[in-house]
Amino acid sequence: MGFFRKFFQGEQLQDRKIADDQQEPQQPSTKNLSRNIDYLLNEFKYTDDLKIRVLKKGDAALLYFEAMTDQEKVQQMIFNPLEIGKVDHIYDIPNAKETTNLEECIRSLLRGHAIYMEDGHERVTMFNVTSVFNRSVEEPANEKVVRGAHDGFVENLMININLVRKRIEHRDLTVKFFKVGKKTNTNVAILFMDGIVNPELVQKVEKRIQAVHTDKVQSPGFMEEFIEDSPISPFPQMLNSERPDRIVASIMEGRVALFTEGSPTAIIAPSTFFMFYQSPDDYNTRWYAGTFIRLIRFASFLIAVGLPAFYISVVSFHFEVIPHDLVTPIKSSINEIAYPPILEALIMVVIIELIREAGIRLPSPVGQTIGIVGGLVIGDAVVRAGLVSNIMVIVVALTAIASFVVPSNELSMTLRMLTFPLIFLAGTLGFVGLIFGFLLIAVHLTKLESFGTPYFSPVAPLRIKDLKDTFIRLPIFTMKQRPKGPQPVSTTAVEEGAREWKKDERSNQSKNK
Amino acid sequence: MSGQTNQKISRRQFFFVIIQTQIGVGILALPFDLHDKVKQDGWISLLIAGVVIQLLLFLLWWLAKRFPSKDYFQIQEYVLSRWLGKVTSFLYVLYFCSVGILIVLIYGRLISIWVLPNTPFWVLAFMMVFICLYMVCCSLLVIARLYTMFAALLIIMVIFIFYSAKDSKFMYIFPIGEAGLTNIIAGIDMGILSFLGFIVALVLYSKTEGTAKEKLVTIQVAQAFVFTFYLAIVLVTFTFFSTQEMALVPEPVLYMLKSYEFPIVARIDLFFISTWIVFVATSLSTYLLMSALGLTNIFQSLPTKWATIGVAVIIFITASYMGYDISKLNNFNTYVKKGGYIFSIGLPLMVLIFSFFRKSSAKEGTSS
Repeated sequence: MGFFRKFFQGEQLQDRKIADDQQEPQQPSTKNLSRNIDYLLNEFKYTDDLKIRVLKKGDAALLYFEAMTDQEKVQQMIFNPLEIGKVDHIYDIPNAKETTNLEECIRSLLRGHAIYMEDGHERVTMFNVTSVFNRSVEEPANEKVVRGAHDGFVENLMININLVRKRIEHRDLTVKFFKVGKKTNTNVAILFMDGIVNPELVQKVEKRIQAVHTDKVQSPGFMEEFIEDSPISPFPQMLNSERPDRIVASIMEGRVALFTEGSPTAIIAPSTFFMFYQSPDDYNTRWYAGTFIRLIRFASFLIAVGLPAFYISVVSFHFEVIPHDLVTPIKSSINEIAYPPILEALIMVVIIELIREAGIRLPSPVGQTIGIVGGLVIGDAVVRAGLVSNIMVIVVALTAIASFVVPSNELSMTLRMLTFPLIFLAGTLGFVGLIFGFLLIAVHLTKLESFGTPYFSPVAPLRIKDLKDTFIRLPIFTMKQRPKGPQPVSTTAVEEGAREWKKDERSNQSKNK
Repeated sequence: MSGQTNQKISRRQFFFVIIQTQIGVGILALPFDLHDKVKQDGWISLLIAGVVIQLLLFLLWWLAKRFPSKDYFQIQEYVLSRWLGKVTSFLYVLYFCSVGILIVLIYGRLISIWVLPNTPFWVLAFMMVFICLYMVCCSLLVIARLYTMFAALLIIMVIFIFYSAKDSKFMYIFPIGEAGLTNIIAGIDMGILSFLGFIVALVLYSKTEGTAKEKLVTIQVAQAFVFTFYLAIVLVTFTFFSTQEMALVPEPVLYMLKSYEFPIVARIDLFFISTWIVFVATSLSTYLLMSALGLTNIFQSLPTKWATIGVAVIIFITASYMGYDISKLNNFNTYVKKGGYIFSIGLPLMVLIFSFFRKSSAKEGTSS
């Protein structure tokens, strides 16, 4: 309402700015042009890419960073109107902005604007002539889906917000900007649905972002480490995604999405463990298929974390667990191996990690070659040389495949890291060690919290209603309430009677009979 | 999360805390112990013991209901006067510690016999105490969540046990009543001992949401659940092994499972004992929690964290000192079992009686 009061009282309307910069220093401009220019040049340490175009025979100057501005825009916005004769003076060009604060000029120059100053005038005119280079909103390579939207976030914050706003056409979608990084001045934005999200959560996120005091913020990864609850934990506590549909779904569940300028990745707070196992694909297939795939993913969690450890504890401690018919083949395959199973497993796991890491950095044809050479040739040779048993190769290969099933790269990494301590525990204490390892992971997951939300919900604390979309995926119309994890203010997601038409049709049919 | 430490647990969580505390080390040897005393009529003793405990729990609930905002240690201080209350609280801490030590000892012994014969005791004890410390060093709420989650493992155990029920021969429990009434009554002792974890219902009563009546239902249902579970184990093992065989198998459940072989895995007793470790850990954690709770009640300025660590270290050192020594274990076992009667039944009932002479704080409790 304050807006209207100001309006009616006749106060001058101000442009709304992205981030509040009232605390920024002020430096009034003078009427002397050369003194103004000297001040700016001095502040910019006489950098060579600050271009000064002298106009009006030395009475005026147009300043801009050559690297930051689009020459065509300069021509179109500033000189064309003058040449055509639409306006008589540069000050009259409509889309210009004026100031008398040289510090503001510095900030706008850094944003890629051009400023125009005249001798004898204090006011400075600024034009937005920033050059923008954007790639198209392509599907992120690491989060592909079979069905569903095929666009993805890009490095430009405004385009990303545009992608979200297009999907949520509602007045409650709120964006808040922050400037983080003392030197890099990175724009950080949080997006949330007012009226769904818990206000306490938004406050918590804001407070944590404002507490970040650092020189630079390069990516959401930086922000994540500054604002996450438990930096010691191996588990990622915020979900990273480059997919607008995934982010929108989370926002609609009452979570907060965080974007940073210059990175296509958005992070979601709070996130739960099971969110990492959901993919937009699940909701675009039949719900049977969605459920089936979910179950496979959870099986893959157990395989990725526990299979090598289980195998090691069986062959080195509990051989009696293997049924009679299998004893001979397994025994014969590991009999000839010189190393103990734990060493075998470590060798193979490290080899797989090497192949993976080598493959990522190389151009794709070479990467594939490395995969084939590494996977097939080394795998075969290592068995023939008698260094590793062929069952161990199967076990480790299966583990590696299972670890890639997780739709999130961060969690996949965590799973592979967790394999190592479990291998050691299983290699020293067998099943007992394995159980203690799993127990430790379970206790840790239950203790962990992400922005006040239990990380392992809805399993611990148990909420049976939310299990509908956890291990399985029931039809969407059965998920009447939002997940309780982020404690949303409004809980109804699907209103009653979403499939009332079915009853109507049925009663119509019986009438017709 | 400072707000969370004071949050109360829900009734569902209370239910699982009681269950997880009671189901613990005992289940492996319970049928053998019962059989040792009463032969094939052991299940009758268990039945009677179960009914007795249900009644007893009603009395304990009555006591807790009279002081709804106080936990058990505070009730003692209020009823028995400050210093006497503190002394009994301290005795309770000692008792809970000893139960913890006993749990570690029995667990270590069984793991050594069944799974890892060459591992030194302190390694097993250290793993167990460490994991429990990690569980307890947080809020009660987290523990309750964990216990609720681990209840899923109960399903696995139940499946294992009911699978072996297919080979049971009911001939083995006949003739009923052969042991004679005196023996059966003497066997009740064994039955009651297997339920001794129920004291947790009294200690955590004030930290649970809900009205007194709702909590009574929760406590009774939890006890009935544990009782049914025990009875199922006892009946299945009694009908699986003949009376002569029972005398030869100190861990009947494991021996029973050992005899099965599936096409994918053999020796499911190893899987059973692995799952059982989780239940041992939950029981030990509860005792650790209760001891720490008692200690912080006696020494008000002591932070819970250090109390828990202290208790854990004591349990670990004492248990490691005794190790695999079977005679020490047996001695200790007898003392703790006797202590069980005093601390789980005698003292609470005494406090209940004394509490009638003190004004009930139910009035102040209604406001909270």
